[in-house]
Amino acid sequence: MANRKRTKTSSSIRRKDTRTAYAFISPWIIGFVCFTLFPIIFMFRVSLTNRKLNGVSEFSGMQNYVNMFKSGIFWNSIWVTLFFTIVMVIVTTIWAVIMALLLNQKQKLNGIFQFCYFLPSVIPSVALAYAFRTIFGKEAGLFNAFLSIFAGKNVAVNWLYDHATVYMVVFFITLFTYNTGQMMLIFRSGLSDVPMELYEACELDGAGAAKKFFSVTLPMISPLVLFNAVNGCVSALNGSFALLYPLTGESGNPDGMTQVLSLLIYKEAFSNMKVGYSCALSVVLFLIAALFGALLFGLSQKLVYYEN
Amino acid sequence: MKAKKLAAMLMTTVLACGMLAGCGSSGQESSEPAAEAPAEEAGEASAEAPAEGGGKITICTWNEQNPNDDLNMYLQCEKATGVDLEVTVIPESDYSSKLNQMVATGDDSIDVYIIWESDIANFAEAGGILPLDDYLEGSDIDTGDFIDAVAKLSDGLGATYGLPWCAATEILFYNQDMFDAAGLDYPTNDWAYADFLAAAEKLTQKDGDNTSVYGCALPNVQTWWAGIGGAGDQIYDPATGQLVIGAGAEEFVGDCADMVSKGIMPEPSSDTADLFASGKAAMAWAGSWNIGTYGDTLGFNWDIATLPTNKVKYNTLHTGFYTINANSKDPENAWKVVEYLMSKEGQTINSKASGNMSALKTIAEEGAWKVESATTIENWDAMTDSLAAGIFGYTCLPAGVTGNAVSNFNSAAMGQSTPEEAVKASSDYAAETIGY
Repeated sequence: MANRKRTKTSSSIRRKDTRTAYAFISPWIIGFVCFTLFPIIFMFRVSLTNRKLNGVSEFSGMQNYVNMFKSGIFWNSIWVTLFFTIVMVIVTTIWAVIMALLLNQKQKLNGIFQFCYFLPSVIPSVALAYAFRTIFGKEAGLFNAFLSIFAGKNVAVNWLYDHATVYMVVFFITLFTYNTGQMMLIFRSGLSDVPMELYEACELDGAGAAKKFFSVTLPMISPLVLFNAVNGCVSALNGSFALLYPLTGESGNPDGMTQVLSLLIYKEAFSNMKVGYSCALSVVLFLIAALFGALLFGLSQKLVYYEN
Repeated sequence: MKAKKLAAMLMTTVLACGMLAGCGSSGQESSEPAAEAPAEEAGEASAEAPAEGGGKITICTWNEQNPNDDLNMYLQCEKATGVDLEVTVIPESDYSSKLNQMVATGDDSIDVYIIWESDIANFAEAGGILPLDDYLEGSDIDTGDFIDAVAKLSDGLGATYGLPWCAATEILFYNQDMFDAAGLDYPTNDWAYADFLAAAEKLTQKDGDNTSVYGCALPNVQTWWAGIGGAGDQIYDPATGQLVIGAGAEEFVGDCADMVSKGIMPEPSSDTADLFASGKAAMAWAGSWNIGTYGDTLGFNWDIATLPTNKVKYNTLHTGFYTINANSKDPENAWKVVEYLMSKEGQTINSKASGNMSALKTIAEEGAWKVESATTIENWDAMTDSLAAGIFGYTCLPAGVTGNAVSNFNSAAMGQSTPEEAVKASSDYAAETIGY
């Protein structure tokens, strides 16, 4: 009798605890359903219509997808997106690790160095992009003016319109974005947690700096590398718009070389008023982001070292 | 445990209330009887009602209001009509898309939209704007006095949905001092395209391999189309709504590519500097609204002429249309505002403030658009001649299509593709985009 009563009481407590737990997570669930899940489902639905920006809409089945797969501009945009995402993640992650390693050295004025590097990262991407667009101008650009002084003659490189230089400039600018600054801070916190005994043991074995980095540092911060790579991918796929739109325009100048999918989605929805078509493009972007995420987590099973 | 539960309940309630409040306000507004009334009914009722002041009307535009009260047409409108007029400024880059979204959601926060050429048919199709014919019947506005291009643009819509707020053209700006130094005659309104090419070459100043002063600035997003239209292409077919470019575009893009390669024209670049205003280009093809911007601020003598005539005399007209939101709660006062802004007084103030001509011919002839601060201009006939030759062309096409084409033309100008490839790529993209 006493046992049954105790069991009943404990099951009632468990139910209450469960209800409380659900009540606590319900704000997030409501937010997720309203602001993430519903828009995703709505996007899939609209992608099956010829909806225009003025609201006029008719069901068109898979027509948007058929048109999309026949479009050369779409395929160009897919390749640019994949290229941009992969290179941007590699470049920004390596750069953030290097900066974090430098900041991890015990030296004077480290705080000022960290502040100076992180400062551009807190500037909104659009403002940052406009500033760099002015710096890399051909006729009146600051960078060309500097080069002219050093070269002793007029240098007029068309940085953002020349096929040979545009990617170099764009990837250089990504080093100053918020995402890269954030990566650097995360790596820095991870580096300070690497046990010193491991380095001491390496030194006793006669390991050099490179050996220590690849055998100790990198494995120990590999969970952070994964985290930053996933974040970097999502940022490159979705956030690249804010950087590229002011830099190279919605057509991804020159010759569509920088027209990532997010730029094309914007152009189709807001310049051509083709909302249904741009939703179909968004479905593709969604799938690419999911694919990148799955790929990175799949790789992490083999490459990431977890201490526990 | 109780405290935890209470906290959880509170958080959930606050979030739910916030969301309901957000959704509720919009629902409440759209359930107003006036908003639900059919557009035509609202139009008929208001046309018959006597005009009364005292209401509040919101108008949206992409231009900031003129700081001078005498030249602020909205302020003067308030005084003349007694209607409290609130002006909402939406940045030009997002203007069309914001308005389209307002129409899509049945927004009623704006009573009077000033909409662009490419939007008027879409808005009419979506039932987002009122037909104005009933209002016009009892009005002094003489629609027969509009420049022909405006009348043509309204053809096919089945009704008059908008009234043009002004008419701007594209003209040639030239640096008189540079023409004097080169010993060249000033451009005239009957200048041929060949005269322009020859002058551009002579006006170019080189410093070694580099150009220090260009003969002419690169065409901008507007004037690429003027050059192509002048070379004989139709550009916009009102019957199909399609982009129509071919041999004319190839010729003009080829000419520009040739001038870029010789340093007569600058390469397309990310520079935002105005090369003509900064004295680095002797000529520029640009919009007439630049007259007001330049005024007496340029450090040299300058004047204007019509764009040189190639195969045909061509420039693109630019305007916006006063329209009334079909969901306006007060279309009667909205019409009073539109009627004032289209009146002689409203149009004159607009011309003086912006330097743009009225689309009403009799008002335009009075010349209120001659910008007083542009003291070096003598050839004001260039404006009226351009207006007579102007047509609504690329502005009726989706901005994404024309933007894509300009990118292709720029690539060809830099030698990254041939003019033929650029024209084909632009036409292909237009074909897959228009008629969606």
